[in-house]
Amino acid sequence: MSQQALVASAAGDDPAAGLRAVRALRELADRLETLQVERARRLGWSWQEIAEALGVSRQAVHKKHHRRI
Amino acid sequence: MFERFTKEARSAVVDAQRVARAAHSDQIDGRHLLVALAEGAGPARTALSDGGVDVAELVRRARTAVEAGDALDPGALAAVGIDLDEVTRRTEATFGEGALSRAGRVLRGRRKHIPFTPDAKKSLELALREAVRLGAREIHGGHLLLGLTRGESPARRLLSDGGADVERVRHLAEGSSRAA
Repeated sequence: MSQQALVASAAGDDPAAGLRAVRALRELADRLETLQVERARRLGWSWQEIAEALGVSRQAVHKKHHRRI
Repeated sequence: MFERFTKEARSAVVDAQRVARAAHSDQIDGRHLLVALAEGAGPARTALSDGGVDVAELVRRARTAVEAGDALDPGALAAVGIDLDEVTRRTEATFGEGALSRAGRVLRGRRKHIPFTPDAKKSLELALREAVRLGAREIHGGHLLLGLTRGESPARRLLSDGGADVERVRHLAEGSSRAA
C-alpha cells in the first residue's frame, strides 16, 4: 500500500484523524475567506456582492469581516 | 488569585499568551506556560537549568510541540487529499508571501484573549496551593513550575520526554519557593 493510501485509510477508520481533518479544513476555509474578502473589498466589491458570492447574508459577512478590513 | 502573583509570575502568564499567539494555538496549556517560564529570568528557569535541563532545547521542543497543535494541520489535510504546500503556493501567488499564516494571525488577532485549558487553570490553582504549603506569601515562577509539574500534565510530559529529572527540578524549585 502506498503511503498516501495508508494515510487515507487511517483517515477513514479513525474518528480522531477524521475530526482533525474537518477542523483543519474549517481553519483553511476561514483563512482563505479572510484573504478573499479583504481582496474583494480592495477591488471595490460591496458587502452585498461578497455575501451573495459566499451564500450568506450581508449582515453575516459584514459582522464577521468589517473590523479586520 | 492573581493579586498574589509576583510581577515575574504575572509576566509569565502574559508571555504564555504571546507564545500561544505565535504558534496560532487555540488554547493555552501548560507547555505554553512552561516556555514563558523557561524564557523569562526567574526561579523557574534557575531550577530548570540547575536541575540539568537544557533550557534552550526545552524551549525549542515545546514550541515545536505547540505548533504541531496548529489547527491547519498538514497531515490531517493530506489524509483527505489536500496538499497544503500546493494550497500555500497558489494562495501566495495571489496574496503574497506568507498570506495563509497572516490570515491565521488576522483570525486569532480578533480574539483579545486566548483561553487557558482546564489543565492550565488547574496548574495555576496548584501553584497557589504550593505557595500556601511552603508558607510563601507571594506566588512566583517557582510555584508556577511546581504547579505545572505536580501531576500528570502536558508540561511534565514534555520535561520527562526530554530526559529531565522532574523530581530533582521540583526539589530545586521548592528550595527557592519556601518562605524566607
